[in-house]
Amino acid sequence: MWCRHKLFLKLMRFFLFFCAGAIFIYVFVCKEAAAEQNWGLFSIFLILLVILLFYWVFERSAATSREIAVIAVLSSIAGIARLPFAALPNVQPTTFLIIISGFVFGPRVGFMVGTTALVVSNFFLGHGPWTPWQMLAWGLAGSSAGLMGILHPRLGHKGMTIFNFLWGYLFGWIMNLWFWLSFVYPLNPKTFLLACLASFWLDTLHALGNAVFYILLGRDIVKVLTRFRQKMEISFLLPAK
Amino acid sequence: MFLFKVENLTYYYPESERPALNNINLTVKEGEFLLVIGGSGSGKSSLARALAGLVPDFYGGKFGGKVFFNSHDLRKMDRRNLGKEIGIVFQDPEKQLVMLSVEAEIAFGLENLGLPPEDMLRRVAEVMGFLNLTPVKSEFTTNLSGGQKQKLALAAILAMQPRVLILDEPTSQLDPMSAEELLNLVKRLNEEMGYTIILIEQRLERCFHLADRILVMENGRIVKEGPAEEVARWEVENSLPFVPPVARFFASLQQPRLPLTIKEGRQALGRYFSVSGPQGGHQPSRQTLPNLLRKPVKKKKVLLEPEPASQLKDVWFTYPNGREALRGINLSVKKSEFVVVLGENAAGKSTLLKQMAGLLQPGRGSVVVAGKDTRKISSRELAREVGYLAQNPNNYLFCDTVEQELLFTLNNLGLSCEDRAVEILLERLDIARYRKVNPRDLSSGERQRVALAAVLVARPKILLLDEPTRGLDYRLKNELGLLLRELAQEGLSVVLVTHDVEFCAEHAARVIIMFDGRIIADGPPEEILNGSLFYSPQMNRLFKGYAQGVLTVQDGIRALALNGDFPYVVQA
Amino acid sequence: MSYGFFYRPKGVFLQTLHPSAALVYLGVLFLLTLFFTHPLYLLAIFLALGLVAWAAEALDAWETCLKVGLGMVVLIMLINPLAVRAGTSIIWSGPEVPVLGRLTISLESICYGAAMGLRLLNVISVFCLYNCLVHPDRALGIFSRFAPKSALIISLATRMLPTLARELSEIKEAQQTRGVDFGSGSWRERLKRYSTIFNVLLFTSMEGSLQVAEAMHARALGSGPRTCYQREPFRPRDAICLFAGGGALAAALCAKYTGAGDYHYYPQLGQLFSGFTDLIFLAAVLAGVLAPVVLSWGWQKCSSLRSKI
Repeated sequence: MWCRHKLFLKLMRFFLFFCAGAIFIYVFVCKEAAAEQNWGLFSIFLILLVILLFYWVFERSAATSREIAVIAVLSSIAGIARLPFAALPNVQPTTFLIIISGFVFGPRVGFMVGTTALVVSNFFLGHGPWTPWQMLAWGLAGSSAGLMGILHPRLGHKGMTIFNFLWGYLFGWIMNLWFWLSFVYPLNPKTFLLACLASFWLDTLHALGNAVFYILLGRDIVKVLTRFRQKMEISFLLPAK
Repeated sequence: MFLFKVENLTYYYPESERPALNNINLTVKEGEFLLVIGGSGSGKSSLARALAGLVPDFYGGKFGGKVFFNSHDLRKMDRRNLGKEIGIVFQDPEKQLVMLSVEAEIAFGLENLGLPPEDMLRRVAEVMGFLNLTPVKSEFTTNLSGGQKQKLALAAILAMQPRVLILDEPTSQLDPMSAEELLNLVKRLNEEMGYTIILIEQRLERCFHLADRILVMENGRIVKEGPAEEVARWEVENSLPFVPPVARFFASLQQPRLPLTIKEGRQALGRYFSVSGPQGGHQPSRQTLPNLLRKPVKKKKVLLEPEPASQLKDVWFTYPNGREALRGINLSVKKSEFVVVLGENAAGKSTLLKQMAGLLQPGRGSVVVAGKDTRKISSRELAREVGYLAQNPNNYLFCDTVEQELLFTLNNLGLSCEDRAVEILLERLDIARYRKVNPRDLSSGERQRVALAAVLVARPKILLLDEPTRGLDYRLKNELGLLLRELAQEGLSVVLVTHDVEFCAEHAARVIIMFDGRIIADGPPEEILNGSLFYSPQMNRLFKGYAQGVLTVQDGIRALALNGDFPYVVQA
Repeated sequence: MSYGFFYRPKGVFLQTLHPSAALVYLGVLFLLTLFFTHPLYLLAIFLALGLVAWAAEALDAWETCLKVGLGMVVLIMLINPLAVRAGTSIIWSGPEVPVLGRLTISLESICYGAAMGLRLLNVISVFCLYNCLVHPDRALGIFSRFAPKSALIISLATRMLPTLARELSEIKEAQQTRGVDFGSGSWRERLKRYSTIFNVLLFTSMEGSLQVAEAMHARALGSGPRTCYQREPFRPRDAICLFAGGGALAAALCAKYTGAGDYHYYPQLGQLFSGFTDLIFLAAVLAGVLAPVVLSWGWQKCSSLRSKI
């Protein structure tokens, strides 16, 4: 019920090919367009396309009302976890909650929790040009954790802590990509490196925050969520007499 | 022709050894108003879910027997048809609303049914008009009051135009005024629009007389079924608590006819006080009426007045959003006093409790608890003196076992407690058998007692409870009242906030009524509740003009005995 | 802790637009900000956005957004000059840095950084206007036509958020009265205490999710194909805004085609005025962008216009 992951993986593969192809075409065929620095515009379209694709997969899935309610609750909690920490730069329990949700409930739920948490909390914190990128970053964090759950279900506490830590940087780099593509010229590895350098401390804070939250809370929350996942599987038994 | 026909229905929840429903046989006629009563865990809610097709469809588990709706097997019915025919409203409005705005919420069910747009528009408009929701139609649902939310949940179901309306304790989370409004609506739906109603309720004062038929459930079985009068008599004979006071009173008088409402009751009462009918209700001459009021006790002069457990001096408080919640509160709670605070919503009751618990600090004035000013000591020090039980006991439960919950409090406060003392406390609250059980696996009444134990284990001097009676059935409520009275006698000061006037009449030693941030009345219940327009218990309304100071059924019987010409044998 | 929605109903004209018209209009504004590199165009769009914010009575929100954006503008203005060596008019030449090579700052790169900073402010302003103009529920109404399940999840999660915030503070209070002191201890202890609160919240709300699911199930969710409730009237004003947006976009495309609105920063700053075609296209774009603002003004001032549009 949780992850029709075959379909999911197939789509992921298809999608990666698609992205690579699109970028290839854009760079080598529309050289002129690329030179005109409309990467910002192009990247937005690409991102929206990715997100829509994921949503489309979810729409087509046979999600039950239980699954919908659980995703909503988890995203709401992850979203609200962001708010009291809004003043602290980049330290928030949202990322690790999303990663755990993905790990326990599978990539589809992980992606939905990640994107929804962001959309919902931004209704209160304000949407911005960063919204689609953050959606993508958190969505990928959730779904990659879901893939981890499928491929390495016994990753263990240490492994998950490292995974959380790494996502702190990955998240930062995805956000840098947005910044770099939209507002920096020329687009070369050097400028990207500079953007990453500028955000290094913020990303480190994020990564450390994730790791610390996971070390302190991870076990408890994985336990709680696993318990509910088991509770949610409906079992029909033989008719009582 | 029966609308519902239930045959030998037995049901087990998954992972449960005990049947939630045990061999139920039942028929419901079209247009009937059926009231289902019983303690919590008696299977009322499971029956409602079975009739709505949610058991076993949504829950799984073991299911035996048959439920027929309109002579179709419910389990073979298409879910869409089921949604069109049967509507169910649940307890907690927070857990039923799914959309952001009122109009979208009403339309949600219709969208699910796949109705054409013109049809939806019309149904939404009609329902909003009928329930007077049009003024708030584009309001965020979060901003509505509890009563409005539940009304919206009802509206959303009514828009689906079901033939049967099942309501599972719809008023348990509401204040009395909203509860009354909702039940009046249900009555109208039954009487004027011909809906078949199946109502499950704990607050019987307002719905006992409405029902055509009442089912009493216990341990998953129907133990009694019949019209209200018959059920009331049967309950009193078997000393079950699920009867409203007026019916209980007359049932214990063994009258041939049993009045169910205050109006009927007062007519019946006239016969016992045949001399002169009710005396002018407002200024009754105390000499001529039987009087149960305690004679004012002259205050003995005590040389050393004991230090009050908690004292508030001219306390003012304004929330950051500008709401002035407390205006000049003066209050002193003595040792082993049992104080009940009444008042409408937003009168400042909860704010008062939070001030005493040190969760909020006064803007002006001072709050002194156990000799310490709340502004001068930390919340942790204060927690040793004050126990505070908030509305939702779930907020207290997160440990793996009941015992750990208690130890959590003790560790935090740096207290130690013998194992034996913990055992005694748990036994006293009747949860000793759950010592090693996860508190989240318990029922709501039991969860509340676990939370209470986790608070009491620190042996506070003063205990504050915020609406502990909400959602409890008569039996649990009475047990809670008795327990708190006992604790008060042992020296604990208890301050309890509630909307439940009957509970207050039964158990309180002192009543405070708050309005708009002020204390407008303070005194013993006989004085404060007697003759009050809104805060008077049923029995008091019944005896208005006939006798003074009647608050409970026992009082009523005593008043009759005092009157002299009491013709029947009292059985109580 | 109390969190209000960013959106607040103010009863202004722009909030009465059909959500799809408002979304298209804002979408066009967003595209325009990413279309042009010419500083004059960017500045004009910035001023136009200010006018829209004024018409939406959202100047205070706009100000807050600009303040947030300013931090990022500084970053842009630092990265661009430091990393780019395409400019020819070098103002300052710095030391050799390992990976990056010699640091140089050129006039061109500063100008480019400033222009990009302005672009960022424009983009942020568009989103700020979105927050102030479009009721989240109405936007979801549009979205739910294409993706009903995802829209349901978003609306459900949004609805729960304030409830959860309240529960969070209640749980904190309950813990405080059981002797948990949130104000003291090392950061590790504090974090542990706060995390317990989240744990309780997770428990309670996961239990609640089952009730929510049951209520949705009872209301026939997923019982078959769904229809969509339409409650938004489509008025002439929506058509006008759609046309205006479309016109602005068309003008922008034409400008792009003729090369107006482009500006070359490197290797040397180009001419700011390269002919009147630039200005004509700019006027056309602005006319489209500002049409709703004019309508809004008319709607406020002239009562007979109110019922006509």
